[in-house]
Amino acid sequence: MADATLSRRGVLAGGAAITALQAPAVFGQAMPTLRCAFWDHWVPTGNGALRQLCGQWGERNRVNVALDFINTTGNQLQLTAAAQAQSRSGHDIISLAPWDVGSYADQLEPVDDVMGRLSAKYGPPNQVAEFLAKQRGSWRAVPATSGTQNKPALCRFDLLQQHAGLDVRAMWPAEDRRGPGADTWTWDTFLRAAEACHRAGVPFGLPMGQFTDAVDWVGALFASYGARVTDERGNPTIRGNAELRQVMDYAVRLARFLPNDVWAWDDASNNRALISGRSALVFNPPSAWAVAKRDAPQVAERCWTIPMPAGPRGRFLAYLPWNSAIWAFGRQKTAAKQLLEFLGERESAEITTNTSNGYDIPPFATMSDFRVWATEGPPVGAIYNYPLKPHHQATPSIAFAPAPPELASQMYIQALNTKVIARVAQGGETVEQALAWLEREINNMRRG
Amino acid sequence: MDGGASAAPRAARGGTMQRMARRKSTVAFLLTLPLLAVIGGLVAWPAAYAMYLSTLNRRMTAFIGLENFAILLENDTFRGVIWQSCFFAVTAVILKALIGFWLAHMLHHIPSKGQRLWRGMLLVPWVIPPALSTLGWWWMFEPSYSSLNWLLAIFAVPAVPWLGEPWWARISVIIVNVWYGAPFFMIMYLAALKSVPEQLYEAADIDGASSWQRLRYVTLPMMRNIISITVLFSLIVTFANYDIVRVLTNGGPRDLTHVFASYAFQVGVLSGNIPRGAAVSLFMFPLLAVVAFFVLRGINQRTKEIGA
Amino acid sequence: MRTGSLSAERRWALWSAYVSLIVAAIVMLAPPFYMLVTALKTSAEIADMGGNPWIVRSPTLENFAAILGNPMFMGFFWNSIQVTVLVVVLTMLISVPAAFALSRMRFWGSQWLATGVFLTYLVPDTLLFIPLYQIVGGLGLLNSTWGLVLVYPTLTVPFCTWIMIGYFASIPKELDEAALIDGAGWLQMLWRIFIPVALPGIIAATIFAFTVSWAAFVYPTAFITRPDQMPLTIGVVSQLIRGDTFAWGQLMAGALLAALPPVVVYAFLMDYYVAGLTAGATKG
Repeated sequence: MADATLSRRGVLAGGAAITALQAPAVFGQAMPTLRCAFWDHWVPTGNGALRQLCGQWGERNRVNVALDFINTTGNQLQLTAAAQAQSRSGHDIISLAPWDVGSYADQLEPVDDVMGRLSAKYGPPNQVAEFLAKQRGSWRAVPATSGTQNKPALCRFDLLQQHAGLDVRAMWPAEDRRGPGADTWTWDTFLRAAEACHRAGVPFGLPMGQFTDAVDWVGALFASYGARVTDERGNPTIRGNAELRQVMDYAVRLARFLPNDVWAWDDASNNRALISGRSALVFNPPSAWAVAKRDAPQVAERCWTIPMPAGPRGRFLAYLPWNSAIWAFGRQKTAAKQLLEFLGERESAEITTNTSNGYDIPPFATMSDFRVWATEGPPVGAIYNYPLKPHHQATPSIAFAPAPPELASQMYIQALNTKVIARVAQGGETVEQALAWLEREINNMRRG
Repeated sequence: MDGGASAAPRAARGGTMQRMARRKSTVAFLLTLPLLAVIGGLVAWPAAYAMYLSTLNRRMTAFIGLENFAILLENDTFRGVIWQSCFFAVTAVILKALIGFWLAHMLHHIPSKGQRLWRGMLLVPWVIPPALSTLGWWWMFEPSYSSLNWLLAIFAVPAVPWLGEPWWARISVIIVNVWYGAPFFMIMYLAALKSVPEQLYEAADIDGASSWQRLRYVTLPMMRNIISITVLFSLIVTFANYDIVRVLTNGGPRDLTHVFASYAFQVGVLSGNIPRGAAVSLFMFPLLAVVAFFVLRGINQRTKEIGA
Repeated sequence: MRTGSLSAERRWALWSAYVSLIVAAIVMLAPPFYMLVTALKTSAEIADMGGNPWIVRSPTLENFAAILGNPMFMGFFWNSIQVTVLVVVLTMLISVPAAFALSRMRFWGSQWLATGVFLTYLVPDTLLFIPLYQIVGGLGLLNSTWGLVLVYPTLTVPFCTWIMIGYFASIPKELDEAALIDGAGWLQMLWRIFIPVALPGIIAATIFAFTVSWAAFVYPTAFITRPDQMPLTIGVVSQLIRGDTFAWGQLMAGALLAALPPVVVYAFLMDYYVAGLTAGATKG
């Protein structure tokens, strides 16, 4: 750190959270430096995979890869992206939040060639990844593996068996088949189980605040009822929308069986509720279970992941994809494309997923069979059904689709879907009042 | 506030003094130049720039007049923010003033050799950077592991949803702010109490005044100035508070604990609507103007008293 | 207080004073105490709902060790030290001469300027951070500790100038007249007479500037998103809080370590600190 004062800005070497992965210089020629800002992984070991892979790749291609891992607490990564877009300088590769690819599409280098080659090998990526990353007819980002997560139901099988009479391990065994009762795993069944567990003092820990866990699962709930708040152009579709009223009605009934402070929960509150043993079910990636393995093993041994329940329009899975994009103003675009292609390959994706103990979800459906999901335990098979498998008969979903990205990203940050429920369930408004508020709020965002 | 009436030479005391007088304003100007640069460049100019920004559209490409203010005033959430900011500031300042006054009195009552130790302990909350101490509070309020609820459970009080239920969340934010700010009031009032001449109390004792009467007719009038300055100052700081809300609730639940600053941050920086964010923070201006008016009046009165 | 004549009323007053102070001290010290208790626990003990959360059963220093061994955290520390030292020096260089000029050298507009300084102190940083975000961004100083060094003086300079005006004004006028007759220039006068005499005030102002820049939160939140440029306050709040699961023990250890420098300064220089705090009120 001694030289930090000499070169604070721009120079990445010496920075605290930065790892410069240097390959040995050959023939003394200067190697280009590729600078990447990646999502700082929530799993403590998670950044290791990208360090390792970028190191390997850099050595092979004689490129310095400088990695910054930027946290999303307080939306720092999003703010970094905004600042770089405005100043047209910064990293070469940057991780973008789901809706931000659309917001910055004009300033991103098209990566159709990379995606073309990857799709040829592994089949098309899932439709949400495509919907978010393909803007104006071309791919503006490569859907990333690192950090991309599903939010299926992470259950305490003992508590669900005891209080709700559901044997989730039989319904969704650690195999590629549906067990008895899987067909009746609907939001109505879910509601009855929520009520039973609430009465037994182990309520479902479903956040209803303004953080991604909350927005994502409520988004999937809305999708499974076919409830949309706007159309593709961003016009509110709230008046006379029967599906929206139906899902609001359901959510309000469900909210009665949740802890009374879920309205302020952050992304970690549901994990703590599970780890503390006070909750029978949360919607979360396996990180909550992984922490429980360390701090509360007796809880972790009784956890099991199952798909989200189905609604009248089918089964939808809450999905939070990260995208790796290349700034059009960057200087190392060719190298950046090569690196992203390398990271997108199956072997790299598997290393990424393994390092994060199964947390990371690759964008290609053909990669839902990594061994790590079958072998992690105890109990072995706890996260078998964490990736979306064909027999789940589910569709990934992102909240506020199909709104245009600029509007959707505001609705997402402001968590309009959980707030509209909260206005009824906690604020005592009628559904019509809350929906009228929602419409005003959306119109407000579109103005000015 | 003594403007320095002395330095003008009383009479010509030879050429040196006259040269000094001529050079004086140049030197004085140079000495204050950096200060002028800070005030002008980093306070006055940004404040004016904020007003300009607030008249632009989201992408900062077109002038839209007062549209941003109109949009905000139509917005339920923002009307809630106005209400919450005022409620938060007024309640917290009143509580801080009362508690600070009470503690200052208690400190003043005990023998002076113990005062330093107590003062030191009670001032700790004011010393820790609030963003960090709020983390401790947040952990005490945490729903699953709340240590406060554990204490309440000893007395068979049911668990309180500290940050989950709007009114409790508002109260929690106020609790933390009062905890942080009351020591400041205490220390100011203590300084004021110490400056009240002992003879006044002795005179009151001779007149047979009760302790309430001593407080009402001796202490309070003597402290009036400090109380008003402290309250005015704290009102602004509390009104403009950001860190406690940011760390503790982030505005939730349902944006009901947002104050101007945190909402400006959310709208302006997080949602990328800089002009509207600037408009939100400019809503602090009226209060600022009112306080500035009272402060200026106080200063002028005192200058008159001194200068007469 | 004359102990010989303690009437019943006075004894009662003394008792109630002590009871109030004890209750207040418990409330005031509970959060830092609980932070310390948490920082001394293992993560398994923190997760264990069984016992009294206010005591620690198997104390460990692993959280402190992890934090101190974390290069990122040490980077925050270094950034904070750097910014704070620069800002304190800058503040004193700006406010001491200005306060001297404003309090001892009457010139055109000095009265107004002195009032203006106080009014500036009333303008909160939360009003200015959005335009400053644009301005700092325009200068290319977003994500740079230099940006913070540039904007922090708005927090420190007005009040420090205000304190120093008060101190300088309280120095007897005969001193400068004597100095002038001796042929000393204004700058010599400031350096040789006023600064030594007003040293307690300067220390108070320095402590104030130090505390404020160490604790500053709004500007770094708005201007800094890169971990390697973050000062402690924002670094602890944003980097040690992980989105999904995070280590409370380490978080609390980090927060306590970050709060340590102001607490240490305060422990040794409490009287100056209090003098600085009350300067505005008693001198104003």
